[in-house]
Amino acid sequence: MSADASDLSLVRRVQRGDKGAFDALVLKYQHKLVKLVMRYVRNPAEAEDIAQEAFIKAYRALPQFRGDSAFYTWLYRIAINTAKNAVVSRDRSPIEYDLDRNSEESYDMQGRMKDSETPEGLVLTEEIRSTVNAAIDALPEDLRTAIVLRELEGLSYEEIAAAMACPVGTVRSRIFRAREAIDRRLREVFEGGLGRAEELG
Amino acid sequence: MNEELDSQLSAMFDDELAPEECELLARRLSRDEQLKARWGRYAVIGAAIRSERGVLNAALAGRVSAVILAEPALAAVQGARRAPARWWQPLAGAAVAAVGVAVGSVLWLRAQAPFTAPPSAQLTATVSVPAAALLPAAAAGAADSYVVPRAPAVRAMVPSTELANYVVAHSVFSSPVGRRNLLSAFMASESGTAAEEPPVEPEGNVR
Amino acid sequence: MSASERFIALTLAWTVAGAALAGEASPESAPAHKTSPDQAPAQKTSLDQAPAQKTSPESAPAQKTSPESAPAQWLERMNRALTTRNYDGTFSHWHGGQVEMLRIIHRVQDGTVSERLASLDGSGREFIRAGPSLTCYLPDKRTVLVEQRPPQESLVGFPAVNDQTASFYDIREVTHTRLNRRDTHVITVSPKDEYRYGYRLWIDDSTAMPLKTQLCDRRGHVIEQIVFASLTLPAHIPDSAFKPDVSTAGFQWLRNESGPPAPAAATLAWNAMRLPPGFRMAARSAQTLPGSADPVDHLVFTDGLASVSVFVEAQRREQADQPAVPESAAVGSSSAFSTVIDGHKITAVGEVPPDTVRFIASQLKAEEPAAVSSRRR
Repeated sequence: MSADASDLSLVRRVQRGDKGAFDALVLKYQHKLVKLVMRYVRNPAEAEDIAQEAFIKAYRALPQFRGDSAFYTWLYRIAINTAKNAVVSRDRSPIEYDLDRNSEESYDMQGRMKDSETPEGLVLTEEIRSTVNAAIDALPEDLRTAIVLRELEGLSYEEIAAAMACPVGTVRSRIFRAREAIDRRLREVFEGGLGRAEELG
Repeated sequence: MNEELDSQLSAMFDDELAPEECELLARRLSRDEQLKARWGRYAVIGAAIRSERGVLNAALAGRVSAVILAEPALAAVQGARRAPARWWQPLAGAAVAAVGVAVGSVLWLRAQAPFTAPPSAQLTATVSVPAAALLPAAAAGAADSYVVPRAPAVRAMVPSTELANYVVAHSVFSSPVGRRNLLSAFMASESGTAAEEPPVEPEGNVR
Repeated sequence: MSASERFIALTLAWTVAGAALAGEASPESAPAHKTSPDQAPAQKTSLDQAPAQKTSPESAPAQKTSPESAPAQWLERMNRALTTRNYDGTFSHWHGGQVEMLRIIHRVQDGTVSERLASLDGSGREFIRAGPSLTCYLPDKRTVLVEQRPPQESLVGFPAVNDQTASFYDIREVTHTRLNRRDTHVITVSPKDEYRYGYRLWIDDSTAMPLKTQLCDRRGHVIEQIVFASLTLPAHIPDSAFKPDVSTAGFQWLRNESGPPAPAAATLAWNAMRLPPGFRMAARSAQTLPGSADPVDHLVFTDGLASVSVFVEAQRREQADQPAVPESAAVGSSSAFSTVIDGHKITAVGEVPPDTVRFIASQLKAEEPAAVSSRRR
C-alpha cells in the first residue's frame, strides 16, 4: 500500500470538484484537529471554530497541494497557523478576573482543563464514550486486541499481524468486525441521540 | 454480506487499501451519505478509544460541509490568484530544524536574520564552522556522562546546554520584562511557525 | 566579607537606593568614540511615535511626566505586578520571523516565588522555578538542568529603574489606548545610544500587567514581541500547577553544587575596565554551573533596565593551547559572546544588542591577587 493513498484519492477528487469527498476528510480528521487546537485555546467551542476555519482554509488551498507531504501533515500546519493567528488576534478581552478561584484544576500544559461544553453536548459525548467502551469490553478478545492495537497503538496491519501471529487479511477482518460490532451500538446513540439533542436543544 | 467488499471501508480508513480500490471507494464515499456516516463513526470510535478530549458529537463536519457547498467548485477557481499568503508553504524553519538536529541545535551558531540590523551592530568576530566538522548531538550529549563533555578538537561544538546554563544563571538578574523575553526565546525551539511580521490586531479591536 | 555576603550587600544596595551605588562603583569611562549621555539624541527615534492604531478620544499627546501617571511609575507598577502577583496566561512570542506560543504560571506565596514557563509548540521545553531551584527541562536534548540559587537571593524586582536610567533612556507615555478591549497605557522606553534596546509596553490600567511588549532597536523596529492571548489572575494556584509535563526517563540530569565552591587556587577578582555609559556592576558572586564542578565568577552589570552577566571560568588545561576563538550567539533578541582572556573563558549574556556583550566581555581583566586577597576572605 502506498502511504497516504486513502487521503490522496479523496484529495484528488476534491481537486477535480467533488465536494463530497472533502466531507470524508473532515469526518476523518476533525477530532484530531480539535485536539490539536485545544493546545492553544482551552475552550472547546472556540477550538471547534478554529478547526472549522482551518478546514475551510485547507479546502481553498487544496488546488496548491501537490502531495509532497502527507495530507494530514499539510492540514496540521494549517491548523497550527490558524490557531496561533486566532489566539494572537482574538477579538475579546484576554484578561479574566477570577480572584476567588481556589480550584484544584489540573494545570496540564496541554490545556486539558475541565471541559466546559454545554450540558447537552457533554451528556452526548459521555454517552458515546461509554457506549464505545462497553462495546469494546463485550468484544471477543481477538477483535478487541486488533482494534485496540490499531486505534490506541497506531500499529499498521502488518505490525498487528506480527503481534497477533496471524495473516494480514485476518487483521483486516478482525478490525472490520470489531468496528461493525461497536457501530451497531453507536448507531443507536447517534440516530436516537439526534432526536434527544433536539429535545434538549 | 460480502465481507471482502464491506471491509474495504474499514481498510481505507486505516490507509491499508490498495490505491486502485481507494479510487473506486472514494467515489462511492463522496456520494453515499450512509457510507459517509459510517466512515464518520469510525473516526468517533477511534477518538473514544483514545479518550480524547473535546466533544465527540461535534457538528463540525456539517458546518464545514455547508460552507463548502456555498463555495465555487475548486476546478473553477484553479487558475485564479487565490494563493493564500504564507501559511501553507513549507516552513522556513523546517529546513533549519533539519540541520539543527544534526548539529544538536547549537544555539551558538544559529544564523539570526534580524528584522532590521542596526548597522553598528555587525559582529566582527563570528565563527562559522562547516557543518561537517560538527559532531552529531547524540555523540556529544551521551546520556551516560554526567559532566557535559568538551571536545577540544571541535571547540565550537559546545552543546547548547552550556549556553543554557548561562541563560538560566543570568535570568535571575534581568528586569522582569527582559527576563520574560529571554526565557521565552530560550523555551522556543526551531519548530516555531514562520510569521514574517509581528502579528497585528485587526483594526476593529482598538477604539 | 564572604563572596555571598558581598553579593547580598551589592544587591540590596542597588535595589533599595540606586543612587547610593553611584559613589560605590569605580568610575567607568565611556569609550571615546561612542555617544556620551550628555549629548541629546541626534534624531528623534521612531519609537516615540504612537503605534499605528486608532486612539481613544481621551488619549493625551506624548507627555513626559505628570504627577499621577509618570511613565516611570507605570514601569515600576508593571515590574511589581510581574514579580508579586499570581497570574496564569498564554502568550505569543515573536522573534526573527517565528512565532511560538507559551504558557506562564506565576505565584508568590509566603514570600516564595513559583514560576513555570512552558512552550506549547514543538520543543516541549519547560522552565520551572520553585524557591531557590531553577529547573530547565529540555526534552529535545533529553537533558534537565537544575540550578540551585543561594537562598538569600532577593525577590525584589531587579534591576530597578532609577534616575540614572533616565539619562540613558527616554521614557514616555505615548498614548492611552484600548488593546483587546482593555484600557492600556502605552509607554515607550527609547535608548539614547546603540548599546541598549528600547521597549514599547502596553500596560493594563487595572492590573499593570504588560499585555503587549515590543522590544525594539534604536530605530524603533520591532525585534521581539510578546502578546498575551489569555490571562487570569487567580487568588490561589495549587502546587500541581508547577509540575512539569515532561517525562524525564532516560534524561541526563545536570546539577550544580549549591553554595559557592571552596576556593582552590588563588581566585582572581575580575572586573570590566570600561563599560558602556550607564552600566555599572550590580552584583558579583562565585558559583558553579550545572554539569561542572569548576568555579565560575559571575558578574552582573546593569544600566537599570538592561543587564549583562559575565561569567569567568578558568580555561581547561586541554584547551589552553588553542587559539582564542570568539563566539557569538543569540537567544531571541538577547546576545551572548564568549572569548578567552588570560587563560580564562569569558562569557557575556544579556538583553542587549550583540555589540554590547562583545564590548563588555572584551573589557574584562583580572585584578592582581595581592590587591584583592583581603576582599576574598
